[in-house]
Amino acid sequence: MRLDRERIFAYSLLLPCFAFVFLFAFFPIAYSFYLSLHRIVIGLPALGERFVGLENYLALLHDRVAMKALLNTLVFVAVSTALEITFGTVLALVVHQRFRARGLVRAAILVPWAIPTVVSSQMWRFIFNDKYGLVNLLLYGPDVSSYRAWLADPFWAFVAIIVADVWKTSSFAGLLVLAGLQTIPDEVREAALIDGAGRWQRFWRITFPMIRPAILVAILFRTMDAFRVFDLVFVMTQGGPADATNVLQFYGYKKIFAEGLMGYGSAVSVLVFGVSFIMAMAYIRVLGRRLFQ
Amino acid sequence: MQLRSILLLAIFLLLLPVSCSQKAGEGKKVLHFVTWKPNIPEAWEEIFALFERENPDIDLDVQIGPHSSTAFHDMLTQKLKNRSTDVDVFLMDVIWPPEFAAAGWAMPLDDIFKDREEFLEGTILANTYKGRIYGIPLFIDSGVLYYRKDLLERYGYSPPRTWEEMVAQAERIVEEERKRGVEIYGFSGQFKQYEGLVCDMMEYILSNGGYLVEDGRVGIAEEEALEAVRFVRDRIIGKVAPRGVLTYQEPESLDLFIQGKAVFHRNWPYAWNVANNPERSRIAGKVGIAVLPHFEGGRSFSALGGWQVGISRFSRNREEAVRFATFLTSERVQKILALKAGRAPTRKALYDDPEVLKANPHFATMKDVFLTAYPRPRSPLYPAISNILQRYFSRVISDPSSDIRAEAQEAAREIERVLSLVKE
Repeated sequence: MRLDRERIFAYSLLLPCFAFVFLFAFFPIAYSFYLSLHRIVIGLPALGERFVGLENYLALLHDRVAMKALLNTLVFVAVSTALEITFGTVLALVVHQRFRARGLVRAAILVPWAIPTVVSSQMWRFIFNDKYGLVNLLLYGPDVSSYRAWLADPFWAFVAIIVADVWKTSSFAGLLVLAGLQTIPDEVREAALIDGAGRWQRFWRITFPMIRPAILVAILFRTMDAFRVFDLVFVMTQGGPADATNVLQFYGYKKIFAEGLMGYGSAVSVLVFGVSFIMAMAYIRVLGRRLFQ
Repeated sequence: MQLRSILLLAIFLLLLPVSCSQKAGEGKKVLHFVTWKPNIPEAWEEIFALFERENPDIDLDVQIGPHSSTAFHDMLTQKLKNRSTDVDVFLMDVIWPPEFAAAGWAMPLDDIFKDREEFLEGTILANTYKGRIYGIPLFIDSGVLYYRKDLLERYGYSPPRTWEEMVAQAERIVEEERKRGVEIYGFSGQFKQYEGLVCDMMEYILSNGGYLVEDGRVGIAEEEALEAVRFVRDRIIGKVAPRGVLTYQEPESLDLFIQGKAVFHRNWPYAWNVANNPERSRIAGKVGIAVLPHFEGGRSFSALGGWQVGISRFSRNREEAVRFATFLTSERVQKILALKAGRAPTRKALYDDPEVLKANPHFATMKDVFLTAYPRPRSPLYPAISNILQRYFSRVISDPSSDIRAEAQEAAREIERVLSLVKE
């Protein structure tokens, strides 16, 4: 009797949370999936919502623009995450040292991360501008004739997007690694010192193994987040030139909002969801027991 | 990202009742007008103020969207799709009426728009879908060629009639000017992956006797079209025009020209006033204007652009909306736009107005261009067609080694697939 009442109380506490997750996570995902099985064109309500089964998905497999966007996205995820984790770890090691004004430096490092992505993308667009951009000024000085149109070049435009992302989110990775660093007890380090371990040895034998879980968490966050990159591309290049910076999320957005192909665009979104979901599952498998228990 | 949008949504929902209650008051009706960021804001502010003065019962709420037509389309259709009552009157690009009509977003205006014969025929056609009219033309745009009068005179040239001539003149002028220590490019235009790219490329293709989409047939993979695209890739981009044009929309390309850094410039009529405004331009008074060139054996075409005033079917203030739309497209407001913002009127009578011609002497010569300006493919699925075209053009012109024919055939197949949707 008492147990039941307790259980009812527990459920009533959980209910709002479940309702929230259902309304804002499960329902949209399920609805996207439903839409992706239909042919819906916003500009042509007369077509109605015809059920077409997996037609959209089959078309997606043969859509070379979508496949290119998927490849772009994966390259973006791999390169930007690798760089962010590296720089983040370096940042964390630096601000973990004791020096004057450390608090100030720690706060300053977080500034790029605190700036809204739309704003920082706009800033990077100016920095890479072909006529008055800072990059050209730094590289070529007053020699205007050799200024390059970075964002007009398929390769450099892609590099520019990665640079902007690395600049913005390295500090976030750094923050996670710093949290890991702070869990290392001083005694371990002191013991290593007494045993005569050098700096390099101390890092690879002690520090690194102990911050590895934190690094893994940072990688997890960054890959999942990088896979859904959208705002950088939207502001800086609109997917151009020649789709060199087109990423999956932006492609899906274009399909739905610019072209009005609701069903097809939803199939793209479901693909994004599917890949992120698989990645998340893989991470939980690999890191699972250690981190999520 | 997802978490952030959830939070935003939650905050938005919390604020909703507050913002709604704030709007009511004073017994005035609030009329929502959705427009884009204007090039010359003063002219528009004058017009809005005039309307509010003459209609004291209406409070005009001007919502300013992005300058890019594509981005503005995304924003506006998002609101209309959700049947937002936050939109009463809106601006429509010349390519949207079929889509807005088929989707049931724009209100048919047959009952209130009577004096249609006063307008340029092309603009009325662009607003008509299945026999009903959905927008009132506000101003017309068509691509024109601007050039540096002083430079052409210095080297003894008259404005080029063909694209080949333009490139030859540009190359020589750039070379000679460089010897004199002046850094200048030959040409600037709009070649970013966006709607404007379709306009610019269409002008090259049509002036070589090609076509984009005509009566359900796709022409981009035909010889004339391929030749024109190849010309742009091999002779314009990174040659007479800097590679940077691949990232340029109208404002960036115009900047280059008014900084005195380009001999030739393709733009819409509004650029005339900006280029001749000594406060903004270094070449004021040195600007010439001409009909766009064509290829040997072809004739000039310019893309029909321009904006219409539409009324949302979900508007709760229809009477006020009609009043505002009629006001905005009236002769006197079009005249203000012509005088202060350089916008070419859609009302034929204004082309004989001495004041308008004094402020825009080029209108006299441009009237023929406006009369023959050519529309982009008219279809409710135009946005999808345009995206395929943008992707194709951007892909082939930004890569000097691209296989234009193969890309064109692939894009043509994609467009045919889209067209087949409408046929069903």
